[in-house]
Amino acid sequence: MKIKRILIANRGEIAVRIMKTAHIMNIETVAIQTAVEPNAMYLSSADIIFDNTDDVSEIPVFLDIEKLIAIALKTGANAVHPGYGFLAENAYFAQKCKDNSIIFIGPSPDAIYKMGNKTIARKIALASGIPMAMGSEGNISNEEEAVKIAEKIGYPVIIKAASGGGGRGMRIVRQSEEMEKMFIIASKEAEKAFNDPSVFIEKYIENPKHIEFQILGDTKGNVIHLGERECSIQRKHQKLLEEAPSSALDRNLRNQMGKTAIEIAKAVNYHSAGTVEFLLDSEKNFYFMEMNTRIQVEHPVTESITGIDLIEQQILIANGEELRLTQKDIKLKGWAIECRINAEDVQAGFAPDPGKIMMMNMPTASTIRIDTGVQEGSAIVPSYDSMIAKLIVSGKDRRDAIRNCKLALDKVWIKGTKTTLPFFRMLMRHQKFQDGSFTTAFIEKDLDKYYLNSEYEELLAAWLSTKLFIEENLNDDSINIDFEHGKEISPWLLNKRLNQF
Amino acid sequence: MTSDKLQINKLYALSSENRKFSFSLPLKQSIRIGKRNYEVKLKSDEKYGTYILWKNRKYPVEIIRSRQNKYEILFNDISYTFTVETPFSLQRMKVLNSKKSKADKEYIKAPMPGKIIDVLVREGTCVSRGEPLVILEAMKMQNEIMSPVSGTVVKVTAKQNTSVMKDDLLVEIKP
Repeated sequence: MKIKRILIANRGEIAVRIMKTAHIMNIETVAIQTAVEPNAMYLSSADIIFDNTDDVSEIPVFLDIEKLIAIALKTGANAVHPGYGFLAENAYFAQKCKDNSIIFIGPSPDAIYKMGNKTIARKIALASGIPMAMGSEGNISNEEEAVKIAEKIGYPVIIKAASGGGGRGMRIVRQSEEMEKMFIIASKEAEKAFNDPSVFIEKYIENPKHIEFQILGDTKGNVIHLGERECSIQRKHQKLLEEAPSSALDRNLRNQMGKTAIEIAKAVNYHSAGTVEFLLDSEKNFYFMEMNTRIQVEHPVTESITGIDLIEQQILIANGEELRLTQKDIKLKGWAIECRINAEDVQAGFAPDPGKIMMMNMPTASTIRIDTGVQEGSAIVPSYDSMIAKLIVSGKDRRDAIRNCKLALDKVWIKGTKTTLPFFRMLMRHQKFQDGSFTTAFIEKDLDKYYLNSEYEELLAAWLSTKLFIEENLNDDSINIDFEHGKEISPWLLNKRLNQF
Repeated sequence: MTSDKLQINKLYALSSENRKFSFSLPLKQSIRIGKRNYEVKLKSDEKYGTYILWKNRKYPVEIIRSRQNKYEILFNDISYTFTVETPFSLQRMKVLNSKKSKADKEYIKAPMPGKIIDVLVREGTCVSRGEPLVILEAMKMQNEIMSPVSGTVVKVTAKQNTSVMKDDLLVEIKP
């Protein structure tokens, strides 16, 4: 093995996840300690911790290319794993690693660049005869041009960031009057998020399913696919729940879409793990959307149904090895669902709810996998994403997986922030989720309430409020109501106080 | 006074959606559903923290906020807000409410902590319901803060490129 020591250019659960496989492969790992999260859980998985806590720069170290290269060189890491987010899809970073003889665990800078720029990716896909939604040929420079193209392809259209991904810089436009406002918002968001304000326009496919294919390619030109993931449960284009396989695909369609995904990967000589995203309309026509040139958040559902460790494959491929797997070796077995448990307030439209995790109990079972980067006492800080944990539940078929997931969700106890748990508890019981007919519009169109609360929960909460009121204001001998001296108490004092009952 | 207070034999928990739950005093450790009484227990332990035991199931509970007679309770990860009223205070509240006129201004507050990316309105701007007022970035997401009413902007406190806390005032609108 050429790869001896990997610098993890990331944090949180994905840092923990990468290091887990590295340990199994007897490869050393280096993690970076930051001032924002000096006691983060991922640090305890590392063989070497690089102390970067004196760095007070506004840009997180995970986005600082020069600094990361310097850390790799200083700590003797001969490989870098970028995880997802941050610099995972930055061609310049991949090139810089190469220039410094550091192995970048991911695809070539060229493939990252071509797939990262959506207008170039569209051209490549078009040239390879890949089905795509109609759209602008290149970037659009102003709203007048946008209106012209939209009239040609017909409303509704979607404005997308050329350098985009992860749902940012996207706006749906239904009529020309909205175009100016949406164009400016999308462009500004794109500039802020990707340092590139350029946007393009595509025909907006109404109520599609989001289906993506996991592919693996080596440096010898072999590419295989590992089946699909269904990621239609989204809000604001951000995925909340993913499953594998998808109930919308039969063997025929799976082969056809898988073959297309492989063609796209081959068109850019892709190696490493990658994801080809498609939209599937109600007539089961599929359209290429984009390719993500990194490991995905939702990779565990694919690992669950294929039994393949995708991080191990990434490392082996980066080491220059030929794929030991052929398409025939890939057998999809059972069903897996991933719930993203985020620190968000479902009662306030999924607004982030950062805070400190005071208590965290996760269920254990052979059908349950938990990927997390936090533990009791960890803080969910506003400067990073709101993920607390990924709950991955498997079953022998979809029904079984949903049943297992429903049970598992009731056993997850997280205190200290509000979470997306009530959303998933509702989702598992929702007819449209159960029958698989949901689309990407599900959260916005099919739900009037984002959470589950059973009939008597409000009554019990009312009882508790009354009990607290009595304890604070009335005591048995003399009833004394003191409305004038209300007090703020820390919820975490409750334990002690309640024990006095 | 004292004799008045001693007459309290009932308390009401009013939800933020104006649902009323009444409990007689002394408060029972059980709740009646139909013809049966079900025991409610408030417990806490090292592993689970505070929880309510009801029909053989544990539900996590927490007080998020408690101020005067107002309680925000997190019950099974869902928050509920109640004001607890005595028969007298309930009566007084009804009288006060009937006198209070409708709010003459709509206060738009930050729904979450974040950074103001853009302010799309100025004082005097006429806005219609659903029109974006401010773009607030929080946790890598840009959120458009929409106007809940149609009206005229009378005050703009949000400033571009500044950070705001949850519930900070952004815009005032006169419907």
